[in-house]
Amino acid sequence: MPGTTCNVSANRDLAYFNHGAERYDTPAIYGATRPPGLTHQDNGCGIAGCISVGTGCISGEKIVLMLETMGERENGLGAGYAAYGLFPERRDDYCLQFLFDHEKAKEGVEESLNSTGTIVKDERVYTRPVKTMKPPFPFVWRYFFRPNPKHEWGGRTDLSDDDFIVQLTMHINGSISGAICVSSGKDMAVFKGNGYSHEIAQFYDLPRYSGKMWISHSRFPTNSPAWWGGAHPMSILDWAVCHNGEITSYGVNRKLVEMNGYRCTVLTDTEVVTYIWDLLVRKHGLPIPAAAFAMAPWYHVDIRRLDPESACLATSIRSTYKEALLNGPFSIVVGRREPEVTMIALADRKKLRPLLVGRSPDGKMVYSASEECAVRVVEPNAETWTPNAGSPMIAQVGKGIVRMGTEHPFVGVKQ
Amino acid sequence: MTAPKKKRGELEVPERFKLTIDHDLCKRCKRCVTECSYRAIAFLEGKIKPLGGCVACGRCVNMCPAHAIEVHQIPSQFPPHANFNERVRRAIMSQASTGGVLLTSCGTDIAYPVMFDEMLLDAAQVTNPSIDPLRETVETVAYLGGRKGRLEISDEGRIYLGGDPAPMVAMDMPIMIGHISLGSVSYNAQKALLMAAKELNILAGSGEGGLHPDFHPFADNVISEIASGRFGVTGESLKRTAGVEIKIGQGAKPGHGGHLPGEKVSALISQTRMIPLGTDALSPYPHHDIYSIEDLQQLISVVKESVEYKIPVGVKIAAVHNIGAIASGVVRAGADFITIDGFRGGTGSTPRIIRDHVGLPIEVAISVVDQRLTQEGLRNRVTVCAGGSIRSSADMVKAIALGADVIMTCTAALIAMGCRVCQQCHRGICSWGITTQREELVARLDPDVAAARVVRLFRSWNEELKEIMGAMGIDSVESLVGNRDRLRYFGPNSKIAEIMGVKHVGEGWG
Repeated sequence: MPGTTCNVSANRDLAYFNHGAERYDTPAIYGATRPPGLTHQDNGCGIAGCISVGTGCISGEKIVLMLETMGERENGLGAGYAAYGLFPERRDDYCLQFLFDHEKAKEGVEESLNSTGTIVKDERVYTRPVKTMKPPFPFVWRYFFRPNPKHEWGGRTDLSDDDFIVQLTMHINGSISGAICVSSGKDMAVFKGNGYSHEIAQFYDLPRYSGKMWISHSRFPTNSPAWWGGAHPMSILDWAVCHNGEITSYGVNRKLVEMNGYRCTVLTDTEVVTYIWDLLVRKHGLPIPAAAFAMAPWYHVDIRRLDPESACLATSIRSTYKEALLNGPFSIVVGRREPEVTMIALADRKKLRPLLVGRSPDGKMVYSASEECAVRVVEPNAETWTPNAGSPMIAQVGKGIVRMGTEHPFVGVKQ
Repeated sequence: MTAPKKKRGELEVPERFKLTIDHDLCKRCKRCVTECSYRAIAFLEGKIKPLGGCVACGRCVNMCPAHAIEVHQIPSQFPPHANFNERVRRAIMSQASTGGVLLTSCGTDIAYPVMFDEMLLDAAQVTNPSIDPLRETVETVAYLGGRKGRLEISDEGRIYLGGDPAPMVAMDMPIMIGHISLGSVSYNAQKALLMAAKELNILAGSGEGGLHPDFHPFADNVISEIASGRFGVTGESLKRTAGVEIKIGQGAKPGHGGHLPGEKVSALISQTRMIPLGTDALSPYPHHDIYSIEDLQQLISVVKESVEYKIPVGVKIAAVHNIGAIASGVVRAGADFITIDGFRGGTGSTPRIIRDHVGLPIEVAISVVDQRLTQEGLRNRVTVCAGGSIRSSADMVKAIALGADVIMTCTAALIAMGCRVCQQCHRGICSWGITTQREELVARLDPDVAAARVVRLFRSWNEELKEIMGAMGIDSVESLVGNRDRLRYFGPNSKIAEIMGVKHVGEGWG
C-alpha cells in the first residue's frame, strides 16, 4: 500500500542508457478503445516476475528495476505490471480496475456495476504525467465490488460469483466503448499502458505500492497498433499473464475458450492464454502441472516412454485438450491469487523463448525473467536455473518453490 | 474380336479417343489385344488395329513392349456451340439411344471452381521461428473418436480416467483411406489398401458389405460401414474393427444408396453380400430405419451397445446445403466422429446427374461445420473427417486448416495403384484390375506392389504436411485444425471467403 517513497527515477540513467534511441513514431495511439480493424496482435517481449514466498512484501521499485534492465526487449509500445496482495483490508472484494477514455464510458460502467452489485468503494488510481509519453492518457479508476447475492446473467442464476464477474467484465469490454477492465481479481491489480516500462512505472508511481508478488511485461510489438488495452499483463479474475511469444495456434486456442463461454475482446494471443488457464485450472479443476501439460505437452514418442499410468494420463490430456496446445514460441509468467498467491513460469515445449528462474540465497524470494540480468540486478547472489521446455516452475506464498520446472511432468498430479 | 454392334436406331456417338499404332515399331505380339478389357483394339489382317470404344485407360500404352501405341484425344467432331457444348450433346445422344439414366464413376469431371486452389497458406517470418522437420519434432498423430471436452476430477482432486472414457483410435498421420467396398473394387485392390493402412498405421474404410474373412488380420486398421443395404453387418463384424461408421450419404451421390452393378457381382461378391450372382446390388436411398434425427440417435445407441462402447461410432454424411445444422444434429445424436464427403468425391458407380449437380464443395462444408460446431460448443466433442477430392498434400493441409481433424481420400490411393481416372468403374472391366471382379483382370493387380505404392504416396504426403506445418511454425497437427487465421483467400469470390471464415490475401492481423 502507499507509504513507500522510493523514487523510480533513481533508475533513470539506466533507462536512458537503454532507451536513449529515438522512439519510433506511431501514427495513432489508442487508450481504452480498441483500435478499429484490429483482429489479432502479437509481440516480442520481456517478462519478469518476483514473489515473496515468506511473510515479506515487495516494493514496486524492485520489479521496475528487473523489467527495465532488459531494455533491449521493448520498444516503447507497451508495458505493464500486475501486483498481488495490494489490498489486504479489502481482500474479499473484487477489485475492478478500468481504463477510461471519457466520462461517458465511466458512467456506462458504473451503471452496469450498480445494476448488478454494490460498489463498496471506488477511487481514482493515482497517475501522474510523464513528459516523454505521448497522449492519449486514459484515466484509471478502481472499484471494489460485490456482486448481488442473487445475481443473474443472461437468464442464468446458477453462476458462481467468479463466473458472474467473468461475464460482467467481458460484457463491459465488448460493449462499452471507451472502457476496458484491465483486472478484476481480489486483492490484486494491473497497471499497464502504452510506453516504456520505466514510463509506465512513473505514470502509475509504482513504488508507492508493495505486494506479495509482481509480474511484469515490456512489449516489442511487431505489427500491431499501440493500444493501452492491448498491453500486458492480461488478466481475468485473479489470473494475470505476461507473455513473450507468438502463438501460431491462436485460431484453434480461441475456439476452445469461445466454446467454453469466454468472449475475446482484446484479440491477443495472451488474452486467450489467460482464459485457458482460467478454464483448465479454475473451471475444470486441473492441477497446475496438468494444465501446463495441456498447453505444452510432451511429444507422443516421449509419452510412450512414460510409465503406463502417466502415459494414459498424458494421452488423455493431449486428446481431450488438444485445442489448448499453445503452438509456437512462448514463455509466460502467470500470477494467481487462489488459493494462495502463486507464480507460474512456463516455456513452450521447444523452448523457443527464453525463461529463467532464480531463488534468493535465503529462499524467501523467487524470481522469473526472460534474462538472467533481470534477476542479478536485484539479487546478485541468486541461485538460477532454466526450467525444462514445457515444464512449469511453481512458487507459492507459504510453500516456497512447489515445482522447479525440471521434474517429471506429473509430479504434483494425482492420477 | 470386333467392337460391340450398335442396335437398330442407336445414334453413333463419335469416338473420344484415338489409338495410333506405329506399325514400324509394333512387334505384333498382340499383348495390347490381351490387355484391352474394353475390346478397343484387335489383330486384324496381320496388323494391330483400333476398333473404337477406347476409354484412354492407358493399359495398352503402358504394356506395349515396343512403345508403339499412343492415345490421343480426338478434337471435337461437333460443330462449335458454347451452350450446347460437346458434353451436353453426347449426353443427349446417349440417352436417345439407351433411354436410361446415365451412369458414371469417379468424382465429377466438370471444371467447377476448386477453392483449395484459391487459398494460400501462411509461413513464419521473424516474429516466430519456422521449424525444420528434419531436425525438430513435428507431430502428425491424429485421433479418431469422441471427446468429452474436459477431464473428470474426483472430489479428492484426482484426475479420473476410469469409468467411461470415450474410445479413441490413434493414427500416425491425419489420413484415412475412405470407404471403398469389396465389390466396387477387386479383392486384390482392397487387400492392397488394407495392407497400406496397416503399414502406415492409419485407418481405412471397409465400404459397404463388411470385411472379407481373409482381411480380418487388418481389422485393427479398418472402420466398418453400416450402409442402408446393411450388407455384411453383424454384431461380431462390427466389434472386430477399429470403429464403425453409419453411412448416410456419399459426396458423389447424396441422397442415393450404394450402387453395385450386376456386372461386378461375381461369385465372391455374391457370397460376401449374400445376394444372387450377377444382380445389381442397389442399397436403399435412405436407411429405412432412419427417417429422422431421433432415429439416427437410436441407431447410434444400438451400435454403441453392440460394440460395448469400446470403439468409436461415427456417421458419414454427404455435404449438402444445410450441412452445418445437420452436423450439429449428428453430434448431438451421439456420433463420436462425423465424416463429411464433398460433392467432388469419387464413387464406383453413380447416376451422372447426381454426381455432377448435387451437393456442396468440401472446402465450404468443412469450414461451415467447424464454425457451427464451435458456436454450439460441440467441436471438442467430436472428430471431423473430411473427404471429397483431396488430391494432394496441399489439399490436405488446407482441409485441416479449414477445420478437419482427419482427411479422407480414395481416388489418390487408387491412382497410386494404377488407376487412370477413366471413369469406367461402373462397367466392371477395369483393365488395371482395380474396379473389376473378373478374375483374369483382378490378377493383374499385385497387392504387394500396389500397397507399397500407396504407402509411399501417403508417407510423402505426411512429410509434406510436416514441411508445411514447420514453415508455419506449428509442430503438431492439432494446432492446425481449424486454424483459418493461417489461410488467405486468393480467388474471385470474396463472399465465399467470408462464408469459409478465411481472410482475403493482403489482410494481416489488424
